Amino acid sequence: MINDLAVMIAGKAGDGVLFTGNVLAKLLKRHGWEIVTSRDFPSNIRGESTCYTVRASLDKIYGLSDQVNILLAFDCEAILAHLPEIAPNGIVLCDGQGLMAPPPEKARDKTFHRFYLRALAREQFGQEIFKNVIALGGLSYVLDLDPSFLEGIISEMFLKRKGEEVVRKNIQAARFGYKKAKEITAETERHPLTKRGDEGRILISGDEAIGLGALAAGCRFFAAYPICPATEVWQWLVHYLPDFGGVTVQTEDELAALNMTLGASFAGARAMTATSGPGASLMMEAFSLAGMAEIPAVIAHVQRLGPATGMPTKSQQEDVLQWIFGSHGEFPRIVLAPGTVSECFDLTVGAFNLADKYQCPVIVLTELDMGQNFRTARAFDFAAVKVDRGRLLGPDELRNALDFKRYEMTVDGVSPRSLPSYKNGVHLAESLEHNEKGYRDEDPLNRRRMMEKRMRKLEQATPDLFPPQTWGSQKAEVGFIGFGSTLGAVLEAMERLRAESIPSRFLQLRTLWPFPAGEVRQFLAESREIFVVEHNFSGQLATLIKSQISPCGELKSILNYSTLPFTPREIVDPVLRSRR
Amino acid sequence: MKTKESYHLQNPTWCKGCGLFGIFDALKRAAAALEIEPEDMVIVTGIGCHGRLNNYFNAYGFHGLHGRAMPVATGIKLVNPRLQVVAVSGDGDAYSIGLGHFVHALRKNVGLTYIVSDNRVYALTQGQVSPTTEFGTVTLSTPLGSKDFPIDGPSLALAAGGTYIARGFSGEVALLASLIERGMRHDGFALIDILSPCVTHNKVNSYDWYRQHIVHVEEIPGYSPKDKAKAWDALNDPEKIAVGLIYEEDKPSFEGLVLPDRDKPVAALDLKVDIPRLDKIIDTFR
Repeated sequence: MINDLAVMIAGKAGDGVLFTGNVLAKLLKRHGWEIVTSRDFPSNIRGESTCYTVRASLDKIYGLSDQVNILLAFDCEAILAHLPEIAPNGIVLCDGQGLMAPPPEKARDKTFHRFYLRALAREQFGQEIFKNVIALGGLSYVLDLDPSFLEGIISEMFLKRKGEEVVRKNIQAARFGYKKAKEITAETERHPLTKRGDEGRILISGDEAIGLGALAAGCRFFAAYPICPATEVWQWLVHYLPDFGGVTVQTEDELAALNMTLGASFAGARAMTATSGPGASLMMEAFSLAGMAEIPAVIAHVQRLGPATGMPTKSQQEDVLQWIFGSHGEFPRIVLAPGTVSECFDLTVGAFNLADKYQCPVIVLTELDMGQNFRTARAFDFAAVKVDRGRLLGPDELRNALDFKRYEMTVDGVSPRSLPSYKNGVHLAESLEHNEKGYRDEDPLNRRRMMEKRMRKLEQATPDLFPPQTWGSQKAEVGFIGFGSTLGAVLEAMERLRAESIPSRFLQLRTLWPFPAGEVRQFLAESREIFVVEHNFSGQLATLIKSQISPCGELKSILNYSTLPFTPREIVDPVLRSRR
Repeated sequence: MKTKESYHLQNPTWCKGCGLFGIFDALKRAAAALEIEPEDMVIVTGIGCHGRLNNYFNAYGFHGLHGRAMPVATGIKLVNPRLQVVAVSGDGDAYSIGLGHFVHALRKNVGLTYIVSDNRVYALTQGQVSPTTEFGTVTLSTPLGSKDFPIDGPSLALAAGGTYIARGFSGEVALLASLIERGMRHDGFALIDILSPCVTHNKVNSYDWYRQHIVHVEEIPGYSPKDKAKAWDALNDPEKIAVGLIYEEDKPSFEGLVLPDRDKPVAALDLKVDIPRLDKIIDTFR
């Protein structure tokens, strides 16, 4: 029985690879499978190679495997590029005229078939565009899926937007593809999948989950500048915020995006921006302002490969230390790092409450792999969402206020806040060092007291933060530490190590700052050998751990700074090597 | 009944004779004429001598970063359009480091009043060349004379689609107050560029120098602030600096266009978690 499978769809940008992959992912989800998708695509609109992998499993998965069972290629180039990944008994369906089958010694155990999608689409339906639905029909046959599921998805997608005729024709194309694949492939080459109930699960990207979290948490103002791979947060929200009374703004740059977010937040809205790479660097200036003027703000940063413009469509975890230690001056900030799409939702909701409660900027730090790819999850629980605006005074509470102090010295450092239009709450949000009233003050003693006030806000925040999640055996010699979307690869690496009788554990950090020193220290103490897994060159998380825990013993870094996210093998191999 | 004293928090400590005194006075008069409650007004300032205004003016204030007054003010206005949002900048703030923000807030026609106090010098940093400094001027940063050609804010605003463009003079407070007041009533972006002498670091562009070089647009025969061509000519007169209401037109304001309901400020929305509505949205992911 098959319990894990990956289908790759490959072609040129503009071939409809994205559409085909998205539909296939939804199709498999509806058959009850757990899904993780992955796209490897260029920063280009048309003409260059692109591929989309849908991995499906009967077990809960969070990342990719390292092989491909079925490759559907819109041209022959992809076959040679991905041949090493194609699993034994793999099947390749290719619409191309070029070299398809590799040399026999490399093609062993695999079958290669021509599937003339474009020609068939033109002959049967008059337009090449039908090739994608024909391909999906073909895959439905190879995977032994229920044909009515594909037809259902086609209706949902096209009926409202394009009308009955388009639906009818596409359903015909799907059925045709199913029939054609039956003619081409042998029964033994199929990969028949078990069918389970879908249980109302969702298939969602991290960016969308952040958007949905923001909407649920009461975010009603969103300002941003387009940037890959964070734009989807906004492109999703833009359709919903107006219905909830909110507004989105496309700004002239990221300087404006964060400053505008701060203006909106100062005036009372729950406000947010999202960015990546160079945009985050531009936001550093206003990040510091949020810290000094104590203005709540949520910044989603979906990391991409750098430095400079780097590779806008490739994933990386290179911007961790920038948010923790970055910008001029010292000020409190919170950095959260979701590792699943459910956490993208939960941590974004949490980010808004933390920002209001501690009156400081909160970063939701993810990566392209989490942000743009789709994963299955249980439907989010909106009943569990609580909106806590923190120490925000209302007009009634201010009615008798005689001497409102926006930056009042308090035991926990958090001062009451009022909003423009509230009587008796008039104040100045000040970027200069200021006194309790908000006015510029260069007195040395005042400076010391205000600095301490701001910095002590997060001293007692630990109970409100998201603690690290521990995965794996209770007793294990090998310990992994990581964050974000490396989760999937680490968990599968642990499974493989278990098969080799090497039990291991994983400490998944969900709050990077304030640093969860207690939990990390304990984890370090309980593990014989520690591997810090991160998608960057220099080991930023390892550097962070060493800076916060002393002495911390030896940390071995497993690093990947290539264009692709970790595969389990890339984590297993260094562990095995180190034990040899 | 409001008087200018309603907004007077404390006496400024600008250099004696600074043009900012006239601006401070004019802004208080304009606010009083509109009978604005101090809590319904927000003054967003940039960095420069003008930035001290927040310490003297009784209203909500936001003293942010150098050049970033526009986006902050836009954020405030969008989430609460009932507020009277006035941004104040210097020439460095508005026309140098914040130039991009200025042009974009203006072309979006956000309902802000933007007061630019132009003293043609970087005063707070002790006297470097500014984007409006005249060609050839010797400053701390240009010992051999400025090699930059100056830009003119109102001309820029006219080219970028400004809907209320005025220029005032710190030495004529009554006119300035009326230009600010009218700008505050304008539904859209109002630029009031102000010729404002720096008595410490700019010995050339003094009150007397301005008095000799300004011309009031009302004195120009056949002038109409509705006529873009005439406005352009007045702004580009090589001899005289045009002062007064230069140009005005009706265009929908940004907040009028993008807000679902201007009378329901985003800032005052009930954020109760609407579970049935969110459940409907999550169905789209099934």
